[in-house]
Amino acid sequence: MEADFGIKTYFTIFGLNINSTILVTWSIMIILTVLALITRSKLQKVPGTLQLVMEMVVEGVHWLVDSTMGKGQRGFAPYILALTLYLLFANLTGIIGVRQPTADLNTTFALAIITFFMVHIHGIKAKGGFGYFKTFFEPLAFMFPLNIISELALPISLSFRLFGNMLGGVVILFLMYNFAPTIVPVIGHLYFDLFIGLIQTFIFVMLTLTFITLAKD
Amino acid sequence: MEELAEFLQTLSLENLITWLSQFEPAAIILAASALGAAIAMIAGIGPGIGQGFAAGKGAEAAGRKPGEIRQTTFVMLLGAAVAETSGIFSLIVALILLFASPLVNLDASWMILASSAIAAGIAMVAGIGPGVGQGYAAGKGVEAVSDRPDVQGSILRAMFLGQAVGQTTGIYALIIALILMFANPFL
Repeated sequence: MEADFGIKTYFTIFGLNINSTILVTWSIMIILTVLALITRSKLQKVPGTLQLVMEMVVEGVHWLVDSTMGKGQRGFAPYILALTLYLLFANLTGIIGVRQPTADLNTTFALAIITFFMVHIHGIKAKGGFGYFKTFFEPLAFMFPLNIISELALPISLSFRLFGNMLGGVVILFLMYNFAPTIVPVIGHLYFDLFIGLIQTFIFVMLTLTFITLAKD
Repeated sequence: MEELAEFLQTLSLENLITWLSQFEPAAIILAASALGAAIAMIAGIGPGIGQGFAAGKGAEAAGRKPGEIRQTTFVMLLGAAVAETSGIFSLIVALILLFASPLVNLDASWMILASSAIAAGIAMVAGIGPGVGQGYAAGKGVEAVSDRPDVQGSILRAMFLGQAVGQTTGIYALIIALILMFANPFL
């Protein structure tokens, strides 16, 4: 049984490989942008269905940011909304048989690097450069190298966790389609794409919020 | 009896290596990759135990305070999903060894490459520890949220922080395994 879990490259632009990850990400970007533009163009005092749904989503993100970071941190909500929607759409593309863009370590690592920079930049903003640097020497001075390694472990674990979960789903569904193609893949999609996709979205967003909050305290 | 004694006398590392040398190096390295992949998955023991503890605490909380079952289940799922991470790391290493073994076409002694493949698998067994520990943290988090659902935010923050620090040895193991596979210093 030949199995190739590499990512297919479709064409090249200026020497850059355009593969399935990039194409699916572009599609998600287009869908989300169009959705946002349509919602904005139809805003009314008495909301229609689309506006109601989008208001629920935004309120959900506000509740998440408020409950995890405390009041007054709504400035993070736009990025968190974008991150949540992108991850949701990206993880769930497995259901339509497309390889998830988050099943590519490049995507997850990029998102994890963004989180990493957000954590440290907001920590420095909240405590000042020297004050933030001093926190690495808490609670005991000799723990400095251990604290540094813990901070470096964050983007690694964030990216590999999401990547691994999605890749595991890809491989197991491939096996299911090869050996039990009748009803079993439905269960596979339900668990690996729907359930794990949702949970991993949540974990990624919550860990981002949690570590930004911890850096600011 | 004599044949057994004769056979036992022929068992030696030297003879093993001579016997192995008759195979193609690629075959030996693939065999070692298979062994490494299987040994890596032993790390599944950890998350199994940890998530079981979290599930038990979740069930206990659901029984004690059925009114808060949504919140406690939510915390249980979050904690269990983080506890799963060690299993996922092992799965990544095993999948790489099985489907994209980077050691097969390298130009070096088969002994080093085969041992590196097995070693990458053995390193991932370290995932047992964080799996159990993070699951324990998840369970205690569920318990705390069922007692005081109004401070769920702080509890979750403490749980995630503790789980992230506990993950570090698993990350060390993953890094060593990746170094052995992709940036092998012995070649």
